[in-house]
Amino acid sequence: MSEVKPIRVVIVDDNPEFRDSARRLLEHQGVRVVGLVSTSADAVRHVQELRPDVTLVDIELGAESGFDVAEALHDIDGEAPARVILISTHAEADLADMIEASPALGFLAKSALSASVISAAIGHDGESRSE
Amino acid sequence: MVLLKHFAPTEAFGTVYLLGVLLVGMGWGFELAAVTAMVSALAYDYFRSRPEGIGLSQPQDWVVIGVFFIVAVLSNSLAALARAEAIEADRRRHEAGLAARQQTALRRVATLVARSVPPSEVFSAVVAGLANCLDVHDAALLRYEPDGTALLLAAADEPGLERMPVGERFWLEGESVAAMVQRHGRAARMDSHDYPAESTAARIRALGLSSAVGAPIMSGTRVWGAAVVGSSRPDAFPPDAEQRVRDFADLITIAIANAEAHAELSASRARIVTAADDTRRRIERDLHDGAQQRLVSLGLKLRLAEESVPPEQTVLREQISDVVTGLAGVSDELREISRGIHPAILAKGGLGPALKTLARRSAVPVELDVALPRHMPDYVEVAGYYVAAEALTNVAKHARASEVHLAAKAESNYLCLSIRDNGVGGADIGKGSGLIGLVDRVEAVGGQIALTSLVCDGTSLDVKIPLRHDGPTGAQSSELLPHQT
Repeated sequence: MSEVKPIRVVIVDDNPEFRDSARRLLEHQGVRVVGLVSTSADAVRHVQELRPDVTLVDIELGAESGFDVAEALHDIDGEAPARVILISTHAEADLADMIEASPALGFLAKSALSASVISAAIGHDGESRSE
Repeated sequence: MVLLKHFAPTEAFGTVYLLGVLLVGMGWGFELAAVTAMVSALAYDYFRSRPEGIGLSQPQDWVVIGVFFIVAVLSNSLAALARAEAIEADRRRHEAGLAARQQTALRRVATLVARSVPPSEVFSAVVAGLANCLDVHDAALLRYEPDGTALLLAAADEPGLERMPVGERFWLEGESVAAMVQRHGRAARMDSHDYPAESTAARIRALGLSSAVGAPIMSGTRVWGAAVVGSSRPDAFPPDAEQRVRDFADLITIAIANAEAHAELSASRARIVTAADDTRRRIERDLHDGAQQRLVSLGLKLRLAEESVPPEQTVLREQISDVVTGLAGVSDELREISRGIHPAILAKGGLGPALKTLARRSAVPVELDVALPRHMPDYVEVAGYYVAAEALTNVAKHARASEVHLAAKAESNYLCLSIRDNGVGGADIGKGSGLIGLVDRVEAVGGQIALTSLVCDGTSLDVKIPLRHDGPTGAQSSELLPHQT
């Protein structure tokens, strides 16, 4: 296991308490949280610079919409489009159409956040996906 | 009498002459009749005395002329009296006719006012009635605008004269009936417009009007406008013209009071609905951003704690796990409450996706036909959402339907929503079905709602909501309320 590269994650959420709890839990579970941001602009910059394996984007980003952030991240030039998982306290069923229409990989309830569901969502098999 | 018998004309001519004189007297008045009497007496004497020719030498000639003259004058006086009576009777009949016409026209206008027909209809009836009752061709309704102009709301015009188009504004300066009514707030008249050149007077003269009478239309204590009648003849109006115009103006005052009351009611209804919606949105936001986020964060922290407990402390792990599960349950409950207060999908995705979500959650299968723009005004989306949500709830509860058809489209500035089911029908807006709340909500935003629900023939609910409403303060009778909009 030691040679397995940890999943690198950026979290985009405007609630500091959630960001902090999520980071601590995910890091405890072996995920590397490389960026914590709260706005669309910061999210794009971080993802461009850090190239995380996946970005967790809160749907309710204050005045901004997580769906728009997902679009913006998806449109970043690169070898492959940035991978996004939408997160929210809302139920998936309540926003299903919009989630389906977005370029995000999928949806994760905030309360169900864990390293294992994230790696399952991005198809991370424990091997590094590049180099 | 003896004298008269003695000299009385034995010929029929005498009688004919008398009759002629009488006729002239009746027809042309006393002066002409007196002259005619004189001339005819002389002529009679001439013919009677032929062939000697006219000779006033004989005393009986003088007597004949005198008698003839007196008879002619007397008969003329009688004729004049009769003529005056006839004129008076004619005038009274004409006045009674006018009064009856006025009563009919006033009643017609009052009926329109009571039926709350569109103001333009009331205005047209008023100008037609005014012109008819005052026996003139020109009548107009003006509204005083804040910029010092008057707006022509409705007009009846004399055929052949230049017309002032309805909707035109003109400046109220100098001496015109419209300006005087506005200045003094009471009826005014001008029996001619021959005063120094002012643009308003010139304009009125150009319209071919010589005299006019106007009365104020009030809105509360404010002079809202004026009803004006005009004529191309100078001095065309009787002394009571002001009162007659005032009668019509008063009816418009009532119509305006009605419209204002109605507009205030609509506006306050809209404000209440909007305030309630705003409150619900805020509560949903507060729950989501506050309690819900904290619960989720606490849940994550507890899961971290759970995972940090050494594996051998199974009891502690289980206890923490219980709390995590419990917290998740609370979070779910809170989410349900939030959704009932204000659905997230509406704020995030608009009405189209929100209707899809409603359809997916519906207990009865829904066939969707939605073609909506991404953005519509908030109040339209919220009203549309609640209509659809309530209708689908009703179908599930009461209709015993196997399918529902939900159509939503935006066309010609309306959101049109239609929800039809194949259930048992028999729904009634008044039967506490929650439909009455929908009626309030839809009407508050200026929309219309129609329910068709025959027993055993399903139920259909059709709703039309204007996309361009004046918003919560919107008055539907803006035609009557220039200063509030």
